[in-house]
Amino acid sequence: MTTDFNVAMSGLNFRTPLLTGSGTFGYGDEFLSLIDYAPFGGIVTKSLSVRPRPGNPPPRICETPGGGVINSIGLANPGVEAFLAEKAGILPVKETKVFLSIFGETVEEFVTVMSRLETLEGISGYELNLSCPNVKQGGISIGGDSSAIAETVRECRNITDKFIAVKLTPHHTQVAPLAEAAAKNGASALTMINTLVGMMIDVETRMPLLGTVTGGYSGLPLKPVALAKVWQASKAVDIPIWASGGIVNGLDCIEFLLAGATGLQLGSVLFADPYSPGRILEEMDDYCRRHGVKSVEELIGALEKP
Amino acid sequence: MIPPIAEIGLVRESIEISPNLWDISIEAPRLASVTRAGQFAHVRVSAGFDPFLRRPLSIGPIAGDVLRLIFHIRGEGTRLLAAKRSGDTIDLIGPLGHPINVPKGHNPIIFLTGGIGVVPLQILDDQMPKERERVFILGVRSAFTIPLSLSEAMQRNILWASDDGSLGYHGNTVQLLKNVVDGLSADKKPLVIACGPAGMLRGMKKFCIERNIPSLVSLEVPMGCGVGACQSCAVPRSDGKGYYLVCKDGPVFDCLDILLETASLP
Ligand SMILES: Cc1cc2nc3c(=O)[nH]c(=O)nc-3n(C[C@H](O)[C@H](O)[C@H](O)COP(=O)(O)OP(=O)(O)OC[C@H]3O[C@@H](n4cnc5c(N)ncnc54)[C@H](O)[C@@H]3O)c2cc1C
Ligand SMILES: Cc1cc2nc3c(=O)[nH]c(=O)nc-3n(C[C@H](O)[C@H](O)[C@H](O)COP(=O)(O)O)c2cc1C
Ligand code: FES
Repeated sequence: MTTDFNVAMSGLNFRTPLLTGSGTFGYGDEFLSLIDYAPFGGIVTKSLSVRPRPGNPPPRICETPGGGVINSIGLANPGVEAFLAEKAGILPVKETKVFLSIFGETVEEFVTVMSRLETLEGISGYELNLSCPNVKQGGISIGGDSSAIAETVRECRNITDKFIAVKLTPHHTQVAPLAEAAAKNGASALTMINTLVGMMIDVETRMPLLGTVTGGYSGLPLKPVALAKVWQASKAVDIPIWASGGIVNGLDCIEFLLAGATGLQLGSVLFADPYSPGRILEEMDDYCRRHGVKSVEELIGALEKP
Repeated sequence: MIPPIAEIGLVRESIEISPNLWDISIEAPRLASVTRAGQFAHVRVSAGFDPFLRRPLSIGPIAGDVLRLIFHIRGEGTRLLAAKRSGDTIDLIGPLGHPINVPKGHNPIIFLTGGIGVVPLQILDDQMPKERERVFILGVRSAFTIPLSLSEAMQRNILWASDDGSLGYHGNTVQLLKNVVDGLSADKKPLVIACGPAGMLRGMKKFCIERNIPSLVSLEVPMGCGVGACQSCAVPRSDGKGYYLVCKDGPVFDCLDILLETASLP
């Protein structure tokens, strides 16, 4: 490959724009024998909360025709203390940038988790999950209110100098006020977007396909929505945007870069194709060579006006 | 446990053994050499992403470099898989889950299977020392829907139960299990290993608890990653401490550890 994949973001250099989407990659250990870390600029781990969360009643995953997936995991995670005791040691912090995703029901919970994680060495930063559709408190309810976003980001910024990405929900027509609230209070990047709320029904049994009836919709159908939100957010703020939603190949990545993204998260695609990271870089390289692009940074926000 | 490996298998043969029931032989030397009874493969069904997810399928009997997937056509994913022909490739991740660990000190081992649930227990039957006493119960709808080739069915010495009475015992497998257990001499310490429809598993658990017989179940639930990373495949624990993951902690569990009664099983 001849293309320069390095991207700089808020003082950090990433060897490629590729990242993992929180919750689709666990804490990195399960996929170790299948996924090569080399194509990734960084990984984002499953959201951690103060206390362990058992997660939602099953079934927790279903598909939609047209390449969609709906999940209702409910942020199942061992809690920050068990994570520190059992999982933190296996993170590949030396070779890959690691961003720990944090979830809280209140601003205080975000701060508590982050202050515990600050004790870890070698972590590059955090992603604040202000957008999970599968929990009653926190998540979307904080992420839909610009003053709550502002307060959460400000309080977290007070306790760390590290990179903070803020992950937003697509469930608001106005992206700009939410994006600005995060950017003005110390966010290093915005992640656009978390899943959309979705639902499927088995008409034969009249039962919903998920235990919680509705869940978070990801996969191919999310891409146009994510592209629009990335584009709107990149117009509203100057901090880098991490794209999340429906990326399965190199041309999807090119689209997101053109729309203004700097980071590119691979989510559900890792379930179907754990080897996609290498393939995606090759497909991007192929595009760049065809178009005389030397560095992927040239593509960021390079959308032509209609 | 060995970590999951990725292998592109080569389809050798694909047979419709009875209507909508397919048996595909796949040359996959790495997987064939390390897979043990009870483990499964996560199988890519489409070259693109529609359907998006892989399909979990038990790894069936292994001969040399060749393993078999035996499955019912249920929806789009298994339909695409059934369209594979000799010479096609197939993208597999495996072996996933824990092998079945048959506790010592029990005899006979009773395999209680319903329909396609026979698949994982065929390898166990093959891999278990010949001197271990076993009873193999297989329930089917009728004599026309048996999930095995005729020669295999003969070789395994199966006790059949059929819903319509066209093969073996007329009735369900749990009733047949009861007859088998009632016929055992008092010094026997049976163990039941079951795989099949949810109704059969629940009936089996209830019976085994009444008779104080230990039992293992192999479970099927929808999966995302298949490797323990996404938490999609949860089943409720009976100790109230949340959930086990079928892909990582299972797929075989001690019946007493799982709330089978309320678990959502497709
Ligand atoms: C560990 C394990 C071993 C299995 N072994 C076998 C086997 O040897 N032979 C066999 O015929 N079937 C087996 N199954 C069930 C098999 O995975 C499903 O029949 C298959 O996924 C259905 O896919 P589909 O696209 O045809 O059906 P659809 O109904 O269209 O599938 C839609 C979605 O639901 C999921 N799904 C539907 N039914 C099931 C189910 N029963 N279990 C898990 N996921 C389901 C699919 O994977 C898919 O994501 C096994 C399941 C598990 C978990
Ligand atoms: C099974 C599953 C679990 C997820 N868990 C989390 C999570 O814990 N935290 C989070 O911020 N996003 C979570 N997500 C959302 C993804 O990170 C990603 O934003 C979303 O799936 C859209 O991207 P995709 O279409 O590439 O999957 C999860 C998604 C899936 C499919
Ligand atoms: S399927 Fe992902 S954890 Fe089991």
